[in-house]
Amino acid sequence: MTQRLVEAFDANFFSLFTAEVTLFIGLILLILIPNLGKGTFRLPGTQARIPWFLGGQRYEWNANPRLPSLIALLIMVSATIQMGMRVFSENDAILVHATGDASVRILSANPFSNLMEFFFFLALTLVILASINRLDVKNPKDKSISTLYNNRRQADFYILILTCALGMSVVALAENLFVLFVGLELASFSTYILVAFNKESKAGSESGMKYFIVGSAASGVGLYGLSLLYLWSGSLQIDILAEAWAGIGQETLPYVALGLVLVGFGFKISAAPFHFAAPDAYAGAPSTISGLLATASKAMGMIGIIKILLVITQPEALEGSAIWLWTIALLSVITMFWGNLAALGSDNPKRMLAYSSVAHAGYMLAAITAAGLWNISGDVSAQDDAIQASRTVLAAILFHLGVLIAFKLGAFLVLSVLEMESDVKSSDAIAGLAKRSPMLAVAMFIFMLSLAGVPPLSGFLSKLLVLLGIIKVAIANSASSSFLGMDVHWVWGLALAMGVNSAISVYYYLRVGVVMFFHEPVESRQGPLPRGSMIRISIAICVILTVGLGVAGEFLLDVCRSAADYLMPMMRGL
Amino acid sequence: MGSSYDEVKNALDVPSEFVFIILLPMLAFPLILYLGMKFNGQKFWKENLKEGGLVALPVMAASLVLSLVLIRRFINETSVSDTSTVFSWANFAWFTEGATTEISLYSLNFGLYVDHVTVMLLFVASFLCLLINIFSIGYMNTDEVNDNKNHRFYAEFVLFCSGMLGMVLSDSFLWLFIFWELMGLCSYLLIGFYYDKPSAAYAAKKAFLTTRVGDVFLVIGLAMLWNLFQPYASGGDALAFATVFDHSNLQMLADAGKQGALQLALGFMFIGAVGKSAQFPLHVWLPDAMEGPTPVSALIHAATMVNAGLYLVARMFPIFGDSAMMGEFSDLAFIIALVGGITACMAALIAFVQMDLKKVLAYSTMSQLAYIFTGLGAALWLANSLDWGEYPNKGIVVVAFGAALFHLFNHAMAKGMLFMASGSVIHEMHHAHHDLHHHHHDDDHHDDHGDDHHDDHFDAQSMANMGGLASRLPITATAMFVGSASIIGIPLIGGFWSKEGIIANTWRVAVEHDPRFYIPAFLVLITAGMTGFYMSRMWFMTFAGKPKTEVAEKVHEQTPWIPIPLLVLIPMSLAGIVFASLKSTYFLGYKGYKLGEDGLLEGFLYEMDHIFVNPGTNYLLVLTYIAIFLSMVLGPCAAMALHGGRLDEGQKAKPWMQWAVTLSGKLNDKYSFAGWAEKMSESSFGEALRQRLYFDKYYDMAMMKIVAGFSNLSASFDKNVVDGFAIKTIIEKGGQDSSRIIRSITTGSARDYIMMVAVGTLAIAILLWGVN
Repeated sequence: MTQRLVEAFDANFFSLFTAEVTLFIGLILLILIPNLGKGTFRLPGTQARIPWFLGGQRYEWNANPRLPSLIALLIMVSATIQMGMRVFSENDAILVHATGDASVRILSANPFSNLMEFFFFLALTLVILASINRLDVKNPKDKSISTLYNNRRQADFYILILTCALGMSVVALAENLFVLFVGLELASFSTYILVAFNKESKAGSESGMKYFIVGSAASGVGLYGLSLLYLWSGSLQIDILAEAWAGIGQETLPYVALGLVLVGFGFKISAAPFHFAAPDAYAGAPSTISGLLATASKAMGMIGIIKILLVITQPEALEGSAIWLWTIALLSVITMFWGNLAALGSDNPKRMLAYSSVAHAGYMLAAITAAGLWNISGDVSAQDDAIQASRTVLAAILFHLGVLIAFKLGAFLVLSVLEMESDVKSSDAIAGLAKRSPMLAVAMFIFMLSLAGVPPLSGFLSKLLVLLGIIKVAIANSASSSFLGMDVHWVWGLALAMGVNSAISVYYYLRVGVVMFFHEPVESRQGPLPRGSMIRISIAICVILTVGLGVAGEFLLDVCRSAADYLMPMMRGL
Repeated sequence: MGSSYDEVKNALDVPSEFVFIILLPMLAFPLILYLGMKFNGQKFWKENLKEGGLVALPVMAASLVLSLVLIRRFINETSVSDTSTVFSWANFAWFTEGATTEISLYSLNFGLYVDHVTVMLLFVASFLCLLINIFSIGYMNTDEVNDNKNHRFYAEFVLFCSGMLGMVLSDSFLWLFIFWELMGLCSYLLIGFYYDKPSAAYAAKKAFLTTRVGDVFLVIGLAMLWNLFQPYASGGDALAFATVFDHSNLQMLADAGKQGALQLALGFMFIGAVGKSAQFPLHVWLPDAMEGPTPVSALIHAATMVNAGLYLVARMFPIFGDSAMMGEFSDLAFIIALVGGITACMAALIAFVQMDLKKVLAYSTMSQLAYIFTGLGAALWLANSLDWGEYPNKGIVVVAFGAALFHLFNHAMAKGMLFMASGSVIHEMHHAHHDLHHHHHDDDHHDDHGDDHHDDHFDAQSMANMGGLASRLPITATAMFVGSASIIGIPLIGGFWSKEGIIANTWRVAVEHDPRFYIPAFLVLITAGMTGFYMSRMWFMTFAGKPKTEVAEKVHEQTPWIPIPLLVLIPMSLAGIVFASLKSTYFLGYKGYKLGEDGLLEGFLYEMDHIFVNPGTNYLLVLTYIAIFLSMVLGPCAAMALHGGRLDEGQKAKPWMQWAVTLSGKLNDKYSFAGWAEKMSESSFGEALRQRLYFDKYYDMAMMKIVAGFSNLSASFDKNVVDGFAIKTIIEKGGQDSSRIIRSITTGSARDYIMMVAVGTLAIAILLWGVN
């Protein structure tokens, strides 16, 4: 793998980041095009009016309220395709440094960031596709204020989605924690508004507000941690931080900073106990946006976690394991149990999915823990195995983040269809879905099975890989404790917890199937389901991905492995 | 020195698109189901697509074409190479993560495996599936009872076909087992197609449970096999044929002294085959399975699924024939032959007294499958005990194995045809009965057709209601005639070639090598005569003599689609000699040995010479003629005397059958043995035969007393202790309670949430601090 150095905003820069530039141009177009009109501007002091083409009555061609969604879709699809080509063809890393100073790194496009961006864009494409139906335009001939209002804000919605995409790609590309934070907030602010987008609905605006308040608090804590880190090392650049961490002594400051930063990212991936606002937000938001929160937004938080925990603090490796090992292990176990137990009793499918998403965060944290452990015995010969194991775990996490888009988002999209008739507040909404629309019910059931981890669906593969990665680590590392006479490493405990939790989760995932297939539809939901071809197309894509990546996911796994390979030397400080 | 399997293997790659042979029907399953649910009752679905029949048809046709291309490729590859064993695979890895590192727990491959056995069964399965599909369109869609249910039938039908084709093509015992079970499921569903009829539901359950007994043993056998080969399966599937048939692996097993364990594993697997192929003592399900619609009987219980057990045993051939295992498995080979011999004789006996047309065929199926088992047993014995290096031995083994497989082919063709022809008879009887009824009570009989089946007691399947149909159903009667001739083994027609081979080879083992084989050898020889009797009895009772009921007088062929498969299959049985010659030319190659007949004519001359003139030794020649006498003269003549008769005045069968009818009339006039036959039938032996030798009775008793008692006990344990206490109280209540507690922390107030963030922050700080 070769590294190419590029100066920010020089001639090469734009040609290397075409997907992101496309997004940016799309954003500008989305702001401009719907606003073009016959507006004029009166020269001060005269009666002369000069047309300046903004505002006023819209032209015929841009008066169509569907226009913003189509522009956004076009932009997003083209960005996804470009990024896909980058993922499957490019293997180089591009390092963007500040003008005139090659040591100040800002962004880096590498296999890891490419893959993550691809995931983000894919998820957002599906969200846009579904939102075309979910937040449908109303007939413009109807002159009522609510119609006007609804159609006017179409543009806002897609502007926010593209902003979110831009923020997410900055997070994936960032080589500096401050840049990362800016990208994170850019994306987060968009999602705060998107959650409350339906501001006529009390639940929507309330949940958006809560999500914003708690998110701000968490961000504040995280930012405080970042400032402490800066205070400690004098830089927030990731490689410098990693270097500083490798030479850490008996200090308190960096550990406090680490803890505070973890809080910030813990909120993003909705790890317990920072997850509280998440179920409210998921339940209040339009389901397409809930899907976005549960997949892309969570993956974004995961990038932060991976960068902080694995890239920066890992090489320090106090006695062969990271300082945060126990903390994250505990956090992960609490998170999975909390998520699963709470989901167990949730009647509202959206809340159930939200809690299941919390549980999934727990699984990923468990995997991170495993990756953070290596070579406790100090035995050099075991190091290769440990590195192999960490690589497997990391690849498994990335794979999981990818396939999560297929089935978690897919499940939310099915709920979106139901939401188009009336709000989804309890399991009544999905009762008898099989009788109303067998295909949708089957799709939902496939998603549930995949979430539960049933072969041969992709959810099974990702869960199995994570689990086996953890076991691999546990085997590769020699035993540190004795249990019932057997020398076992305590990381086995994480695998065990994951197994128990998977068992618990099967209950509530399959109950969705019971409700869909065996219950009668409730009175208010007897008629045929709302139409909407776009949302069904996106659900179909999700089904195909869910099944396809489970049966033939090897190619994606390979990409995930090469992305993990890119991070490995950084993790090890090699 | 013996040769080994892998010395001669010649691996070629099968292009992976041939997997569509399996995939197409598998994908058609949800398609038909979906379309059926969506369009049921609509005209174009019912008329133009035949409720899915015409969706399934192109799929099965495509499968057949692909199969034929594959077979052709195989023949081309093998005939140009000196070594005539080709096995080859297209591999589809599911995912191989970890295959390179030390934990290789999870690699699952599916591949296609093609050799002579595969080719034979592939042709049989895909060809008959297509024909039966055509037949079903005629049979199922013209019966109002099935309206709006047929999509279910066709969906299950294609799923079954994909199971059968998958089993034949898969490259590992594991996948074989998976498809085996898929077939079991479809068989259950199809037998119970009329699940609202208690007898059908019962029959489906019985078939499923009885084969399940065998399957349990099969699983045990496979587990043992896996355990044996696991050390030698470098990271791959320990049950893959490539691993199991590998000479060096078998040699290592032999060196480790594991021959006994291997024989046990194979023995357990054989019990699975016994269940699937309805052999003694797990045969009781097959006659009851006739409750399913006739196409199902033709498909599952004659042509394809029941052959699965034979296929499994035939698959063991390379293990038996490996030099590392020489002489080790003769006991198992004997048991296989013995089970075959007993079943053959017993089933033929029971078939003597059956009055139900389909049940006669069911017992005949059991009996003929048993022939094949006997033949396989003899072939396996020879393969296992003879030294391959010596000159005539290879030829002997290959011919014996070929005879058994060839009988499978002939039987599938003939029995598929017989079942379809019986379906035709039954269908036309129904129609005639229906028409008759409507004429008689035109006004007061407006019940739907379904009630006709259940309410009045006219049995359209009983031969007691038939008779004299030869002139009324010419195509059907011809098909039955040819099919019966093939099963009986009339010289030059289909089954003759293979049956003679089986009898001769069993005797060869008995006379020259292992006297234990005299038991199965005698049994199959007698059965040849018994087959002649019961098959002829069936034909003459149905088609000759005077019509025994009013209904039988009104029968005529009127249903479209049904005659097509019959007309296709008649030549398939008649042309037995062509296939026999083809067999000698192309298919009789195994283990590097080829018979070396280069063309059809040479193959023909070889077969004729081998059977009628010079089969090697004199006693075999004598045997051949004894068998011909028994099956062709004694059995049929007895049947004619007892059950034959002339047709009504003015009725005339087609000339190729008329002579038989006339002859039977003459014989019947002269020697009807009326009193003796009565006596026999009333004797306790006759009664025992009618009660199917009491197997069902005692099995049921065992079930009711022992199994059901145990079931009830465990059911009450499950209900009261597991469900009632453990699940309800501990898990469910505990889960819901803890869920409630946990969710109660989620108050809904942002203030509390921030508070929890603070708590979390503190906790993390303490944890990080604590570690330091």
